Amino acid sequence: MAGEPADTPVSIESPSETESVSRFRGLVFEAVCALATVFGIAVVAALLVYVANDAFRPFSADPRWHAVFLATLVAPVLALSGYYAVRDRASGAVAFTSLGVPVVGLLGGGGLLIIFRELIGPQEWLATVVALLVAAGAVELHRRRRSQAALERLLVLLAAPVLSLFGVPALSVHWTFATPLTGTELFTVSLATPELLPSVRELLLLVPVLPVGWILLVATVAVPTGLGFGLAVSRRRDDERGLKEFTAGAALVGVVGAVGAMLAGAAPNAGVLLATAVVVPMAFYLEGVARRGEGLQGLPFPVVVVAGLLAGVAVTNALGFAGPDPWLDWSFLTSATSRTPTRAGIYPALVGSVLIVVVIALTAFPVGVGAAIYLEEYAPNSGRMGRLVDLIEINIGNLAGVPSVVYGLLGLALFVQGIGLRAGIVVVGGLTVGLLILPIVIISAQESIRAVPGSMRQASYGMGATRWQTTKKVVLPEAMPGILTGTILALGRAIGETAPLLMIGVASSVRSTPQGFFDKTGAMPRQIFSWSSEIQPEFRYGVLAAGVVTLLVVLLMNGTAIVLRNRYQRSE
Amino acid sequence: MGTESNSLQLTGGQRSRSARERLYRWLLFLCAAVSVLVTAGIVAALAVDAVQFFLMVPPIEFYTGTSWVTAREEFGALPLIFGTLAVTVIAALVAIPTGVAAAVYLSEYASERVRAVLKPGLEILAGIPTVVYGYLALVYLTPFLRRFGLDLGTFNILSASIMVGILIIPMVSSLSEDAMSAVPESLRQAGYGLGATKFDVSTVIVIPAATSGIFASFILALSRAIGETMVVVMAMGLRPRMPAVQTGLFGIPYVDPAATVSNSGQTMTSAMVQAVTSDVSAASPTYKSMFALGLTLFAITFCMNYLSNRIADRYREEYE
Repeated sequence: MAGEPADTPVSIESPSETESVSRFRGLVFEAVCALATVFGIAVVAALLVYVANDAFRPFSADPRWHAVFLATLVAPVLALSGYYAVRDRASGAVAFTSLGVPVVGLLGGGGLLIIFRELIGPQEWLATVVALLVAAGAVELHRRRRSQAALERLLVLLAAPVLSLFGVPALSVHWTFATPLTGTELFTVSLATPELLPSVRELLLLVPVLPVGWILLVATVAVPTGLGFGLAVSRRRDDERGLKEFTAGAALVGVVGAVGAMLAGAAPNAGVLLATAVVVPMAFYLEGVARRGEGLQGLPFPVVVVAGLLAGVAVTNALGFAGPDPWLDWSFLTSATSRTPTRAGIYPALVGSVLIVVVIALTAFPVGVGAAIYLEEYAPNSGRMGRLVDLIEINIGNLAGVPSVVYGLLGLALFVQGIGLRAGIVVVGGLTVGLLILPIVIISAQESIRAVPGSMRQASYGMGATRWQTTKKVVLPEAMPGILTGTILALGRAIGETAPLLMIGVASSVRSTPQGFFDKTGAMPRQIFSWSSEIQPEFRYGVLAAGVVTLLVVLLMNGTAIVLRNRYQRSE
Repeated sequence: MGTESNSLQLTGGQRSRSARERLYRWLLFLCAAVSVLVTAGIVAALAVDAVQFFLMVPPIEFYTGTSWVTAREEFGALPLIFGTLAVTVIAALVAIPTGVAAAVYLSEYASERVRAVLKPGLEILAGIPTVVYGYLALVYLTPFLRRFGLDLGTFNILSASIMVGILIIPMVSSLSEDAMSAVPESLRQAGYGLGATKFDVSTVIVIPAATSGIFASFILALSRAIGETMVVVMAMGLRPRMPAVQTGLFGIPYVDPAATVSNSGQTMTSAMVQAVTSDVSAASPTYKSMFALGLTLFAITFCMNYLSNRIADRYREEYE
């Protein structure tokens, strides 16, 4: 390589010399740039390895335990991965996706399980579902009878669900009006009415005999899930059979899950939910793989993983090899926080995070997608309205860059001091973080709506469809995968947000899990933060590490979303 | 995707359809208007309490005072501003060179397969919660840096700022890469036609042509660093300090940077967190100071974001 410094004057007569000098400089530059790209990833990856080591303590295990798992799990997996990488890349993709789908399903099933365990019993859920069905029926009936009245329909659309879910409840208002700046009390409104009309939901809960919980769950969770996936399959295949197959299959899976759980001595409800969340999406994915007929050799991969795992567990149990003593274990996930490191767990904070995410998904998602639809499909780009719309666009871009602490202050001022909700309850947390991710949802939804080709809209207009019909039937279905990826990414960000939660006074550690949306709550990142101020080293290098790993596993869906989006982009 | 199977239901009279269309238009407009309401809400919510604070503590004292001791009701924000500045500068020193180099590599050198691995890797970096970064800085990075003989306290400015820097690398790299990829291919071809090497094309043609986009990404990343909260709360400590001015040769005053960054400090964001987590009444100046700091922070980042938008817009006009 060139030994001379780069700035030596080079004569035109020696082109080879020039070449080598600049090539050297170029190579160094390329290497530096490549290093810079890897730098951040490598540093964080290395630190995360330390975290994982502290959380799982793999070296506390018997070496023979390691040997067994090396033989049953690691070696076959490595061998198969090597085979896929060298021989058959398509199968490799199928292999890893078919392992990833059930893992993500398990995560989602866990979330559902928490909701059903803490928040809503199967009976209440059935009542809610039936009430919503009644409401939907009322709306549909109104549409058939009086299809001309648009405003009236909106009224029915709003009133029917409210009436069937809540009826006309007993009202009791006690509100003191005060001037905003000085806080002088002006006058007080006091008002109370008895309950006027019971809701469908309440009426149903009065029915004395309802089937057992898990049967209700099969009917209200497994069957609708199967119906949803079945619809997607039958649309993909353009036939009606998929719908029936998937619905019947999901019901069967639910029943088998419940019976299996009972036989294993676990709660049948958990069996139904987990079986549904894992098996149905997996069947959906496998159906696509089987239809394409590509990469079929990847399918044994998850089987090998599960079989290796089971064999390893069986062998180590039989021979009595001691496994590692990890901080992150089942009891960490299911117990409340404690002053003693060995007994500390994350369960209440986990529940809090799940509930907060539910509130965010119910509020930020519809508003964000609505705003994106308006900005992309409806917004005029000239005149006074056009300038207003420009202003809104710039404003959304800016809002995405406002620090999260400031959103915390907004939540504090708006929801706690403004409307008078209690500080630190689930709804306040969800709404505050929801406002924070709203701009992100809007921007990503806008991008995927913009990516729908204009020719599709033109075709729809050409058939005489209105703007709303085009949006609803053509643009939205096409843009939905992109919108959903963006939303999942934003929800991932929302789970990890801590600063706004500090601002609105989410409890640093709660021992009792929140039972509803108006209960005081904790949240995972908040819990991690309060553990970080513990003095004992067991907290720093054990409990905290376990919490961090849990949080990162929950965020697995972020990574999944990125992978999904990349696949989606490639297929275009 | 199967759009063939979408069936349109073209029932209903013309009049009701146009009424429905208007209705949906207004509903969707309301959704878009929420963003404006949020902005107005932020400004109003912050301003009301900030005004009450400034009635108790004059703004001049707030922005020029050098002592922030809430227990003694001394509200001089300069130490906090200094802390914020220190974090921002060190984070920029980490993130800007790394981010730009990464952008050059991804946009000019990397093959399709390498890009497919590295780009999502950087994106995942951006998806890790900041509380995790704070934990990493506190528990692993500080002890690691101590091994190099640095005399660091448990809480120190250096490791917090380095972590903030790593945290904003993806922002710099992805936005800069967008700017570089937007440089027209014809410019590169012209360079190669003149006999330039890939290095020359990258440094002399692509980077200058993308300058405004790259600058916009810097400003955006810096505004993120200014507003970053959890990393600094967890790893930097909660002690607002002005840098100690020492007298050197010939009586020239100087600040020892090593001593400054190896001790704890406090930023505006962590002062806000401290104010809200300490047990003070909602009417006390300490509590209200949070809103004054929040308003300042909001104003700074909003201006920076606006500036970045303007720079990026100007850049976009050049090539269209």
